[in-house]
Amino acid sequence: MILPYLATTLLILVTAYSAVASFRQPRESSAPTWIFPNGTKRSVQRGAGICTLALFLGVATWLAIDARHSIRRSSRFFIPEGYVGWVRVEFQVNGTPVVPVEEGEYRFKVPPSGLLRTSSPEEFGWAKDHFFYYSEKATRMLPETGPGGGGLVWGKINGEESGSQGKKKYEEFFIGTEQQFGEQTTGNQTGASSVPQTPAK
Amino acid sequence: MTPFLLYLAAGAATGFHVYTLLMLAVVGAPVNPLELVSLLGSLCLLVAAYWSVFNPHAAARLALVAALAMWCFYGPALARAVGRL
Repeated sequence: MILPYLATTLLILVTAYSAVASFRQPRESSAPTWIFPNGTKRSVQRGAGICTLALFLGVATWLAIDARHSIRRSSRFFIPEGYVGWVRVEFQVNGTPVVPVEEGEYRFKVPPSGLLRTSSPEEFGWAKDHFFYYSEKATRMLPETGPGGGGLVWGKINGEESGSQGKKKYEEFFIGTEQQFGEQTTGNQTGASSVPQTPAK
Repeated sequence: MTPFLLYLAAGAATGFHVYTLLMLAVVGAPVNPLELVSLLGSLCLLVAAYWSVFNPHAAARLALVAALAMWCFYGPALARAVGRL
């Protein structure tokens, strides 16, 4: 938890220092000081170069390794037209069907109850998921935006809980307007997302 | 050496901080585009750190631009955090 404070403090210092260093007018007679140096020795330059290069290489290697483990297949969630409330997908539930893959994407067809159980394992990582309302007549994509953008998908979370049948992995998200999401979460702060809601058509 | 250490420490700390925030997208959190701007600023700050040992004045200007880019994210975030107190 110290990282945000450290980052903000260093950023304030850098802003102040770089602003002063950028706009100060050094006098010709004044000697360089430790705080505003004019340049450094060749050995220091080499050291700084090696240090920066090592940092860049370290970060690049770390990102490359991390990226390999953080990519997953995209998912398409099909939700009954008019459904408003929490949708819950439970993974690795014995005796339930696997999630089909179509055109390289998982296809989750959520029943009217809002609760979908599958024997497929949950995948974690970066991917762009898509959400749709479906009916007998048509399918339409649900917009997914940030606050104030008119989106209809909110509060996506992944979790794990222990029950009588062992550990359960699940994913939940809210379908509805931002206002409905806000009302839902403030009205049920004791665990709004832990139980699937019934559809409100 | 002072600007080098300062820019390096700030670039690494802010970069790692924003990266951890971006990684929350893995568990479904929405990505804020300003986080990407801030991450770019951190990268520029690391470049400025290296540059500062050769040309401190030019590096300071780059660092200032990078810091201003990072404030795009940190400014509103800080204001919101202070507003909650």
